[in-house]
This record gives sequence, C-alpha cells and structure tokens, in this order.
Amino acid sequence: MSDTVVETTNLTKSYGDFTALSDLSIHVNRGQILGFIGPNGAGKTTTIKILVGLSKPTSGTATIAGVDCSQNASKIKRLVGYMPDKFGSYDNMRVHEYLDFFGAIFGIPGSQRKARIQEVMETTSTTYMQDRFVESLSHGMQQRVGIARTLLHDPEVLILDEPANGLDPKARIEMRQLLLQLASRGKTLIVTSHILPELARICNVVAIVTAGKLRAFGSVDEVMSSLCPQRSYEIQLASAAHLEQAEQVLGKLLLESEVLTSSPAELTLRFPTVRTEPELAELLHQLVAAKLPVTQFRELTSDLEDAFLSVAGKD
Amino acid sequence: MNSPSLLNNPILQRELTSRLRSPKALIAMALVAIVSCTLVLMRWPREATIDLVSQGSIQVFRPVAYAIAIAIMMLTPAFPATAIVSERKKGTLVLMLNSPTPPWVIYIGKLLANVLLSVLLFSVSLPAIFACYAMGGISIAGNVLPLVLVFLGMAFQYSALGLWVSSRSQSIDASLRWTYGILLCLVVLSIGPTVLVGKLSGLKAWIAQAMTTLSPIPALQQITGAQGQSQAIGIGTGWIEFLIMCAVSTLGLALATVYKLHPTMMDRARDAGKVIDPKQSSWLRRLSYLVDPNRRKSGIPFWLNPVMVKEFRTRKFGRLHWLLRLVAGGAIVSILLTVVAATGTVNWGVDRIASSMVLMQIGFLLLLGPSLGANLIASEVESGGWQLMRASPISPWRILSGKLLSTFLTLLLLLMATLPGYVMMSYIQPAIGGQVSNVIISLLIATAMVTILSACVSAYSKTSAAATAASYAVLLFLFAGTLLIWLGRGNPFGPVFVERALLLNPAATALAEMKAPGFETFQLIPNGWYVGLSICAAGLVILILRIARLTRAE
Repeated sequence: MSDTVVETTNLTKSYGDFTALSDLSIHVNRGQILGFIGPNGAGKTTTIKILVGLSKPTSGTATIAGVDCSQNASKIKRLVGYMPDKFGSYDNMRVHEYLDFFGAIFGIPGSQRKARIQEVMETTSTTYMQDRFVESLSHGMQQRVGIARTLLHDPEVLILDEPANGLDPKARIEMRQLLLQLASRGKTLIVTSHILPELARICNVVAIVTAGKLRAFGSVDEVMSSLCPQRSYEIQLASAAHLEQAEQVLGKLLLESEVLTSSPAELTLRFPTVRTEPELAELLHQLVAAKLPVTQFRELTSDLEDAFLSVAGKD
Repeated sequence: MNSPSLLNNPILQRELTSRLRSPKALIAMALVAIVSCTLVLMRWPREATIDLVSQGSIQVFRPVAYAIAIAIMMLTPAFPATAIVSERKKGTLVLMLNSPTPPWVIYIGKLLANVLLSVLLFSVSLPAIFACYAMGGISIAGNVLPLVLVFLGMAFQYSALGLWVSSRSQSIDASLRWTYGILLCLVVLSIGPTVLVGKLSGLKAWIAQAMTTLSPIPALQQITGAQGQSQAIGIGTGWIEFLIMCAVSTLGLALATVYKLHPTMMDRARDAGKVIDPKQSSWLRRLSYLVDPNRRKSGIPFWLNPVMVKEFRTRKFGRLHWLLRLVAGGAIVSILLTVVAATGTVNWGVDRIASSMVLMQIGFLLLLGPSLGANLIASEVESGGWQLMRASPISPWRILSGKLLSTFLTLLLLLMATLPGYVMMSYIQPAIGGQVSNVIISLLIATAMVTILSACVSAYSKTSAAATAASYAVLLFLFAGTLLIWLGRGNPFGPVFVERALLLNPAATALAEMKAPGFETFQLIPNGWYVGLSICAAGLVILILRIARLTRAE
C-alpha cells in the first residue's frame, strides 16, 4: 500500500480568464510536513481550499487518503483539520466552550467530547486557558487554540495556513515543537508560511509556487540543489595590504563565470562556483603558495530564502 | 503647520465625502423625495374648485412631515452609532487621538457630517413641503419653518446620541441596539407617563411634562395642526420646548462624548473571563443573576443544535440571566397594565390595555429582533467563523435552523412574558378569549417575520454593522411605515389602500383584532396572516438559497 496521504495531479483552478493554479502535482507521505511556499497570490490558498473541500478544481484531481477532495467533500472534512489564517473567534465564548462547539459540529458524541477536549488541550498546552474568553487571548495563544480545534476530530491531515504569522520568538519556537510533535505522531501536515527559515527547520518536503505554477518540489536539500546549484565562497585576509595581490592571483585562477567581488571594509573576497571539493582545495593551496595571509576560506550557506528568491525573482 | 480647525476640518471632509460616495445615501434621499412627492401628488387639486378651509394641504402636510420624521429617526442614528466604535475596532481612532487634532474637532467633524447628511435627506422633501404651502392653509412662519427647525433639532439630537453611545460601546451591534433602544424611549416612552397615568399635579406633572419635550411627537402634532389630540391626552408642550430640549441634550451629550474621546479610552484590559463556583457565590450574586453567566457550562447535549447553543452563548444578551430578566420585566409590566385597568386606576377598556401590550411586544420585537437577526450570518462571515463551519461536516440546513431558532426562541420568550397579562384579561372578560388567541397568532407571525427578514438582510450583508442598520430600516419601514399610511387614513389614503397596506403589518392585524382605537373598522384576519406567512415563506426560500450558495464549494 502506498504511504502517500495527500496527492494532487495536474490540479488547475481558473476564475474566468484568470488561472489561479496551473497543473499542480505534488504528493505528501504519512508523517511528513510539507512547507508550501509562495508569494501572496501565488495559489497557495486556492490549493488549500481545494484540499479542504471548499473549492472545486477546474481540472485535475486532489485526493487525501485516497478520497477525492471535490467528489466527497463531506468525507474530506472529517479527514482534514484546517486552520485558516483568520482565527475565527466568537465573543463571550470561553476556550472550552469554543472547543466543545467545534467538537459538536464535527459530530463527536458528548460522552467522548469531554475527554477529547482535555486530550487536545494537553497536546497543545492550552489547558490553563480553558476558562478564558477566546477574544481575550494573545495571538500566540489563539494559534494554539486553533490547532487544538483542528485536532478535535483526530484528522489524518492538518492544513495550517500561516500558523507562525505574528508570533513572538518564544511562541514561534513552541509552535515549531508542536508541529514536529504532531508529525511524530503520524499526522501529515501542510504548512504555509512566509517565515522560510522557520519552515526549513521543520519541513521534510517543500513546494514552491509562483503565479499559480509549481516551481520546485522535493526535500529541502533537493530543492536547494536544484534551485541554487552554485555555491558561494568567501576568502578572508589578515590585512588590507594583501587584498589587491589576492585579487590578481585569483583573477588568473578563476573562470569567467566565477565573478569575484571584494569588500575592502571586511577584508573579504567572494565568488560563486561549481567546483568540486578537491578543486577548491587546490585553489586554496595556490593562494597559500602565493604567500597570501588567508585567515578564513569558507562556504556561504544558501537557504530556502535564496531558493525562493531565485524563482520568485524570475516572475 | 496649520492645525485643523472647525472650518478646515479634515474629519468633516472625509466623513462627508465617504458617505456621499455611497450609493446608499443616494437611494435614501431618492426614497424620501419619491414618498413626499407622491403624497403631494395624491392630494393635488384636479378640479378648478376653491378649498375654502384649505384642509387639503394640511392633510398632505401631516403625513409628509411624519414620513420625513420617521426617515430621520431610522437613518440618522445608524452612522453615528457606529462611527466611534468602528474606528476604535479598526485602530484608526487611536491614530486620530494621537494627532494634533483636538478631540472636540474630531467630534464636531463627525457630528456635523452626520447632521449635514440629515439636512440633505430632508431637504429633498422641501419641494413637496412648499407645494403644500402653495396649496394654501399653511404658513411659512407657523408651519414650514418650525417643521424644518424640528427636523434639524432631531438631526442634532440623534447624531449626538449615536456618537455618545458609540463612544461607550464595545461592539458595533451593541452600539446600534442601545442607540435605537434609547431612541425608542425618547420618541415613544417619554410621553408614556402623561398618556398612561393621565392628568397629574405638582412635581409629578412637571416631570411628566418635561419628559414629553424629549419626543418630537407633540412638536409634530402642534406644527401639523393636530395639537388638539395632544392636549386631549394631557400633553401641553410644543415645538419650542422640543427645540430647547434638543439644544440642551445635544450639548450635554456632546460634552460627555468629547470628555470620553481621550487616548486612555483604549487603555483597558480585555476581560479574560472568570469562572465562579455556584456554591461559593454570595446570595446577592445568586439573586441578581439567578443563572450565573460565569459558571462553567456543560457540554452541548446531542439533542440540541450546536449552532443554536453557540449563538446563545456568544451574545451577552443570549445568556440566560439576561433573558430571565427581560421575561420577568415583560411579565410584570403586562400584569401591571391589566391590574391598573381592572382596579379602575385608569379609565381604560380591555381594548386599550391589549393595544398597549401589543405595542409593547412589537416594541420589544423591533428593538431586539434586528440586532439579533442581523448578526446571524454577517458577523459570522466577518469574524471568519463561517469559513470554519464550511470546513466542518455540519449541513447548511442545520446551520440555518440553529441560527434562526436562536433568534426566534429569544423573541418568543419575550412574547410569552406577556401571557400572564392576556390570561388575566381573559379572566376579567371571558368573551375575548378568541380575540386573544388571534392576537397571539399575529404576534407569532410578527416574530417569525422579524427573524427571517433580519436573517435575510444579514445573509446579503458584508458587515454586521451594515446588516443591523439595514434590518432596522427594513423592519421599521414595514411596521412603522404602514402605520404612517394608517395615520393618513381618509385623507390622502382611501380605506382600501390603508387596509391593503396594513395587511403587511402583523402588529396592525393584532391591533385590529383587539379593536384598538382607529383600527375598529379594519378586518385584517385571516388575510393579514396569509400575507405575513407568505412574506415569511418567501424570505425563508431566499435565505435557504443564499445559505446553500454561501456553504457550497466555490
């Protein structure tokens, strides 16, 4: 049996002449966290709405645990826990009343609901706020209650739209730990966020969409190597007096595509390259042989932000 | 850098341009113009005969004056009632209060913008009023000018009232509810002591007379030549007293609002919620609440619609302690009315007592119904809760039935509060048992109508504030507008037209059944029921279609 829980095949959604989503094909396995990345208006929310059963695709298919999202919306709603970017609070309602209401509309019998609410509150560390009015909670607390709400009916898949948006650093770390904890329990998560370093730390797979098209999909390493094949290296020297000499030496050793940039204030030289490790070792050897006082020779790490910018910048 | 002044007021300019840009303002003005001109046309002399006593013009002048007064009452308070509270919610009020603009300039900007809009509203009816003058029988100094001054006084008073309530409210719908509630008290209940208790003496009489100056009704009666009716029920005040009261109350409300407009008004902690153990609460608390709103609630039982329970729990007014208070208040008033009639304290027959009770119930329905019904869907969409419900497996029909029941049952409870009064009435005069049953059926239809129409308006509105204001307008148009036509019975409206108009109003059906003064000649049952039920059925179909559209996948 395939371990794929969420799968979209050539998913397309058009509104008249405007194509919000075009031929999106992705798949997420059980227990994985998919980071869904894209600028505003890229088609993330459209995809999420189709997966949750709130929107129908123009063509293509989307399935969750083998169930078609557009053909069997009522079944999908039991398989998915959805947290939109807007919390959806109610006035004069306490946290436990709020959870009780959502438990009731998901059809959880009263006898089981009480225990289930306690369970999700413990998982999300919200038990201490159960008697507080939901509108009086801070944003971070509301996000936790939102996740508790999505967990009530024990869905296989959690779809969280911007869960870390507006959270302070401490709340963000707690949110990260909570998401990893849920994935370790076998839940499949789809998370959108604009905070890309945050996503890179928790996601197994990422999908980058811009202008309704999938630009990259795979593990973080795969996406990085496909979108950022060139690595950047930085050479730091001991004194400014040797900077010009280093530039002359490197000018002879580097290829035309390896454009050298210098930063006299920082006593550094940088260049992008696709050289292998032994080739780089040889380059360093030649610099040392030219009696240049090299204090550091290091790779500048690219991150998901660079990968995202490399595709977002093309649009 | 010039700081804003009264003449160069950016708030006034912004408020005016944003309101005038709205097509709703144009529609409201066009409606007032059409209604007033139609009334004049209906009575315009077609034959070359001389109306020696010029009764024709006053018969048109009167309904035109009342129509514009009702339009001012319905439309003027809606915007100021939301003006400050909505800016506070959006966070723009704090920006204004932290600017060099003094609070009084902000206030004057908002007040004048609203008054100017009201002036525009009633100025479109001026051609109709001057047409009445051209017909003869009314004078500029004695009728037209006082009427315009009364309208201006109303515009100032109701705008100041709306802004004052808005500065003290925590939510837009609460602000609208309180504003319209106080307005109802100002217009109708202020003349209650004089009308209900009759002629008084000493300090009580002075207080009762002073209270009548809060209502524009005595002023309008004096201006439209019906002062005899006022004097017959003991009202001795007129338009000058009303204008003085308008000036005093506007000034008082303005000072209170400007005092409140301070950055510290935002500096309050959010109520975090506190749970009280019923065993540990004091006897005073238990007595004042009966059902403590701060006790921990049990889970929603399987036999109750969860959406209905949620609706009751999420509004302060839906909590049981408030409902019990209202029901108790309604029951006491209805029994008191019956008792004073039975003991001969006032010289009223059963018909007048029943009419008072019907009017009280309709007052409750019109005051609470729109604010409850209009928030059913619009506020859910606004808060993002609708999206969450759509993502759940609950059916659209269950959502709709839960929401409608939450309003219908609340209003039904209020209606039931007056049942003891009707029971006593039937006991005093057993022959009216059948009439009482018919009145109760009419009121049930009225309740359904208020609930469904408000929910319909809510389903088509983007914000709860717009939904509440529109619901008040629609329902007041149906309930008060048809009574306005009734007021012009004989002239300019014929009996057939009046009866047809009254069929739209279940309150009129109830009043006609109890043979209330002025309704004796109308036989509105069962046709009034059929019309009311048809309106409910049509509204329900529209609502079902709209909910199906709002819940289905895009």
